[in-house]
Amino acid sequence: MICGFDMDTSQVIKLTAIVFMAGVFGLLTVSDKYKSMITIIVVLVNAIITTVPALLAITQNTQTGVLSMPHLLGNIGTKVDSLSAWFILIINFTSINGVLYGSGYLKAYTHLKVNRELHWIFYTLFHISMVWVCMFENGLAFLISWELMSLSSLMLVIFEYQKKETLKAGLNYMVQMHLSVVFLTLGIIWLFLNTGSFNFSSLAELPQNNHSLWIFIALFVGFAIKAGFIPFHTWLPKAHPAAPSHVSGVMSGVIVKLGIYGMIRTITYLRYDWLIIGEVILSLSVITSVYGIANAAVIKDFKAMLAFCTIENIGIIGIGIGLGLIGMGNGNPVLVLIGFSAALLHTLNHSLFKSLLFFGAGSVYQQTHTRNMEQLGGLIKKMPITAIFFLIGAMAIGGLPPFNGFVSEYLIYFGLFKGLNPISGISQVVLIVLSIAGLAIVGGISLLTFTKSFGVIFLGQSRAEFHHEPNEVSFIMQLPQYLIVVAMMSVALIPQFYLSTTSKVILALFPLNTSLNTSEFSQMSGNIATIGLVSLSFIGLMLLMFGIRWVILRKREKVEYETWGCGYVAPVGKAQYTGSSFTRSFGHLLSFLVKERRTFSRIAKPELYPENRTFSTTYNDILEKYVIAPLTKRTVFVLNYFQFIQNGRIQSYVLYGLFFVILVFIGSALNLIK
Amino acid sequence: MISFLLIILASLFFMGLVVRTKSIASGRKGPGVFQPMKDIIRLWKKGSVYSKTTSFIFQIAPTAYFTSVIMAILMIPHGNNPGLISFDGDFVFFAYVLTFGKFLMIISALDTGSSFEGMGASREALFSMLVEPAFFILMGSFALLTGHTSFHSIFSMLHYGSNISYMLGVLASIVFVLIAMIENSRMPVDDPKTHLELTMIHEVMILDNSGFDLGLIMFTTHLKFAMYGAMISNFFIGMLPLEISIPLFFVIQAGFAITVGLIESFMARFRMGHNPQFIFILTSVSLLIFFGVLLVLGKFM
Repeated sequence: MICGFDMDTSQVIKLTAIVFMAGVFGLLTVSDKYKSMITIIVVLVNAIITTVPALLAITQNTQTGVLSMPHLLGNIGTKVDSLSAWFILIINFTSINGVLYGSGYLKAYTHLKVNRELHWIFYTLFHISMVWVCMFENGLAFLISWELMSLSSLMLVIFEYQKKETLKAGLNYMVQMHLSVVFLTLGIIWLFLNTGSFNFSSLAELPQNNHSLWIFIALFVGFAIKAGFIPFHTWLPKAHPAAPSHVSGVMSGVIVKLGIYGMIRTITYLRYDWLIIGEVILSLSVITSVYGIANAAVIKDFKAMLAFCTIENIGIIGIGIGLGLIGMGNGNPVLVLIGFSAALLHTLNHSLFKSLLFFGAGSVYQQTHTRNMEQLGGLIKKMPITAIFFLIGAMAIGGLPPFNGFVSEYLIYFGLFKGLNPISGISQVVLIVLSIAGLAIVGGISLLTFTKSFGVIFLGQSRAEFHHEPNEVSFIMQLPQYLIVVAMMSVALIPQFYLSTTSKVILALFPLNTSLNTSEFSQMSGNIATIGLVSLSFIGLMLLMFGIRWVILRKREKVEYETWGCGYVAPVGKAQYTGSSFTRSFGHLLSFLVKERRTFSRIAKPELYPENRTFSTTYNDILEKYVIAPLTKRTVFVLNYFQFIQNGRIQSYVLYGLFFVILVFIGSALNLIK
Repeated sequence: MISFLLIILASLFFMGLVVRTKSIASGRKGPGVFQPMKDIIRLWKKGSVYSKTTSFIFQIAPTAYFTSVIMAILMIPHGNNPGLISFDGDFVFFAYVLTFGKFLMIISALDTGSSFEGMGASREALFSMLVEPAFFILMGSFALLTGHTSFHSIFSMLHYGSNISYMLGVLASIVFVLIAMIENSRMPVDDPKTHLELTMIHEVMILDNSGFDLGLIMFTTHLKFAMYGAMISNFFIGMLPLEISIPLFFVIQAGFAITVGLIESFMARFRMGHNPQFIFILTSVSLLIFFGVLLVLGKFM
């Protein structure tokens, strides 16, 4: 351990910018073959540079620095405190995995040389801008890096911009990200008007009145769009399938989490009556979770399924935040600690297994060129390693022990049950019990979703013919998945280490030290340690049982035969149970949430010899179809009246400029503009 | 440890009692109480047939399912004696470890590439999703009532002071009987004796299992029954000394088995489409328990 060693974080930012520039220069000069190598090096170097202050901040104290940009923004405060550090570490790990996987994944696109070059340049920018988002104290600099992050990720999403639907998804993403920026800008300008400073820390100077509530709402909406809370989630199921898989993995793993970062950052500074806000966030999160996973269960596109599942997990993180806020409102420090710890831990966990799942999905897509799971099947025999990784990810995301997802889900349940007791009012008790029920339903639906996805994609027989036989992917694409699984198992088996880190983060952020009941806290970390042990013994017991079974069956007779088909012995792949049938009764049950749409033409009565016809079912995102789409349609309708302004004639554009100059002139002449 | 041994013992005769009750109710003499166990032991000695379509998932699933149930049983206390594994919030682990086994069984059904087994798998997944909130609301209510969050402390702190807390115990037993029936796919949700693949749930999932694995799956079902029976008995054992609580445990297990037998004898299976409605009853009963707890604690003031 290096003691008393501090780093100037502004130097870190400068250094990363220089590395980035050098990387761009390198990418533009070297030949196509070495570009991915250069990107890996740049991302690695930047990750190492930024990991150092992050580790220092987590183990010792906050690292600060002042970046002076005399002609632009003046002196900008930068700092890496433990919260930023937690997110920076997650960003670095996921981005490194993403670039490793991507270097293998993009090998298939040799015909798109220019696209790849641009892609790698924007990938390095994307990585470093995400880290900068976590480092800037100043609101304007924060917004600039936020915008850099959004734009660079946009460029990554539209990697295959020759495809129309990719471009469309990209446009949708761009518009929604800018809505987010509008709200954030609004919040920050409001903050500036009230306090005269752009710094986030000046949120603390705001008096506790409705102004601070409105600023919170503006910032919350901005961050919620990024994070994908409903009804701001509609960009996720569009952008994720369109993007290359390593980008989806990093976006889903990290970029949505920066929305969570922003929320927690705001909460730490602002002073308000958190009880009611906590209740609102808790309810919103439970609804988000249920809505996300219900849609994930029925959708056929497996990358869109993962995107909806991200929405679910954001909801689970939100439940943690809501719980923490309720704890703050009730003056219950243990609840604050559990709630926010669960949120932070689930952020880490989700970034791990979601990127694992997206990488697996990408490998499947690369080998089969389809995202429709109904055409797949039997891939476990052709891609066994991908299948096992996907299975691990699927079990972990469902919160099943002995994987890491269980640790954070357990913490959330534990927090909810702890939250039940000291509360006096009935409304909160009912809210919390309903949240428990909601979380249980989410767990159940996620079992349905992931058994379906894994079963339909990897098990049984193939349902369609492919141009070339699917094979296991290259080692460079498997490598990050090995790394992720190791990280996941470390969370699952030694959760007390991670919990002590998150509680350190929380204790540094919220002034709880005085009131925290230490016995309850040590009891909680004891519990978490027990979970690691129990998970380990579960694995041990299972291995023992497998061993016993192996010994017993070693010499027994084994016969291979067809699957039982009621006596029919020529089963075909198409006759297998499909994913849509698997979730059909579920969709029927929740038809108010997931609406099935059937497209077919009826057989008319006089038609004696019916012709070939097709029948297809799709599920629509009802919020998008019935809320967002009509709203945008109306807006577009109104805006149509202003179309005459953009008439395509250069003369009128020159005239507009002239008008503007005259206006400015008159304004300054009359002293209206200073 | 004591509860683990008791549950294993109970599992040996539980299904036999169910079968015996059913045969007596239908006017037959019926097989001996240990006959189902003898069948399982015979299966354990046999070789197996595997489908060509299946992968290793199909082979590991039954063992993992068995292990997950054993793990769950290890957490169940016996009155004042905690289970081998006991910590705050252990029932979350309990629920999720059972789900782990279920996950593998469902995908192993899909592994066969059959046109029936997926159907059973889908129903199993759907019904267990519907059961989940009932269990958690129930445990939440008892956590609220006792102020504790582990099986052992909840069960040992349940003091039956007022009449309404007796009511809660009875309601909770009903919930657990129903959960056991649904989780084990018995009547009235599923008929294990049906011969039509299209109408089965659990039985259709294991159509392709044979030999040792099939025996293991069947034994796991017995274990699960005994596990839920033990859970129900805990609502009544409380702080009783062992010499009373152990006989009481077996009486309750036998009563539970006979109830299951009677339900199966006198009820018809529901139409598949009506099952979700039936399962929602569970959640509403748990909500009743929750409101009962609120009443006891005087939160309605």
